[in-house]
Amino acid sequence: MKLRVDLDKCTGHGRCYDLAPELFDEDEAGHCVLLHAKVPAGLEPKARVAADNCPEEAIQTTA
Amino acid sequence: MTEPEQPETKPASRPNPDPESGEVNLFSAEFAGCPQPVYRGLVQKCPVAHQTFTGGKVLSRYEDVLWALRNPQIFSSEMEMQLALGTERPMIPQQIDPPGQTKYRKVLDPRFSKKRMLELAPDVRRHANELIDSFIDAGSCEFDQAFAVPLPCTAFLSLMGLPQSELPFLLRLKDGIIRPQTLLDGEPTMEESQACRVQTGKDIYAYFEEVIDERVRKPGSDMVSYLLETEIGGHKLSREDILDVSFLLILAGLDTVTATLGCNIAYLASNPAQRERLVADPALLPAAVEELMRWEAPVTAVPRIVREDFTLHGVAFKAGEMVSLQIGAANLDDEEFGDALNVDLGRVRNRHMAFGGGPHRCLGSHLARMELQVAMEVWHERVSSYSIAPGETPVYSPGIREVTHLPLVWPAA
Repeated sequence: MKLRVDLDKCTGHGRCYDLAPELFDEDEAGHCVLLHAKVPAGLEPKARVAADNCPEEAIQTTA
Repeated sequence: MTEPEQPETKPASRPNPDPESGEVNLFSAEFAGCPQPVYRGLVQKCPVAHQTFTGGKVLSRYEDVLWALRNPQIFSSEMEMQLALGTERPMIPQQIDPPGQTKYRKVLDPRFSKKRMLELAPDVRRHANELIDSFIDAGSCEFDQAFAVPLPCTAFLSLMGLPQSELPFLLRLKDGIIRPQTLLDGEPTMEESQACRVQTGKDIYAYFEEVIDERVRKPGSDMVSYLLETEIGGHKLSREDILDVSFLLILAGLDTVTATLGCNIAYLASNPAQRERLVADPALLPAAVEELMRWEAPVTAVPRIVREDFTLHGVAFKAGEMVSLQIGAANLDDEEFGDALNVDLGRVRNRHMAFGGGPHRCLGSHLARMELQVAMEVWHERVSSYSIAPGETPVYSPGIREVTHLPLVWPAA
């Protein structure tokens, strides 16, 4: 599974690094920093939860 | 002789919202106490409604509210009615649009990041425990005054570097803007409320003029000192800029978490099965805090002004019209949430709008989430089995839904 973040859409809600800190971090302003573009095995459900909870629909998962 | 029959223009009780006229009343105490049925009516039957009393259109469906929040070029935050909130200039950054707003958010967002807010968590936890120590043995408290007001306000004042002794004074200033009716005798007219806001606005500016003077003389690690050192595009912020940011921070920082804590605890006190589920499984807490914000939406709506003509659901919107975006209604839209009427404290997918969205996403959202999680965790560790005092009914204030009367009881030690 792959993750893609559209940083133009991110406004810093922080749901991704709240819910999946293994996959996302925050920059100084609290915006999304993608840690793993290729999701490590076993973290696929967390990747989906992060994408599902982004209020700006900035996170996409692809098989 | 018989009287001619009066046409039935005013039935005894009109539905709210009224699907026939499209009118909705969003300012009653009844609405503040139980807004969910009104929200459902809006979402299902009145996607574009008209506000009774204040006028202006109302958007309620999740998709529509999201679209509005994300498109400030159509739905502007730059009201030509700052005076309505007692300010002489726009509050920064809430009442200005991108791209100007973006520059301010760039320097403000880092001061309110999650990492920074988590540093405050131990102090909030200690204070929550101290507050509970002071009343737990009594087996009862008035939740608003005993816990919901002091906890977040103390944290906020220390963030701002303002003395705790000034809290009563600052709360009065905040209420003078947000709910002037609580400071005025009887039932004030719109004009009297407005006069109170304007005077309070002047008092807030005067207060922060003094704070700025003090910080110029003696800088610290507080917010105003930071703003005095902050540059945008090589220029220091002006004194007016700092006043306009401070005005917003004091209104937002001293009200919203108080309101949210009250709404959350009132809900759980009235729904014992939900409270028991949370107490039995504390790991639910982060999701529960999100779900209660979705359900309660203490900040019920945000205003915008239309900049471009458009048509939505067959209704023409004209440039210059006011639109109220119903956050609370959008949070109850089945199209987004599937089972929106089900309060599921373990909800896995929850893109609620309690913190708004788009470029104006609540600046304090990470502070609020930290405070709510710590407060709810400590409360349920210490006071797990509580309910509304027998014979009492919680009282919610219109506008931002603070539960101003929330008498709780629990088995005393």
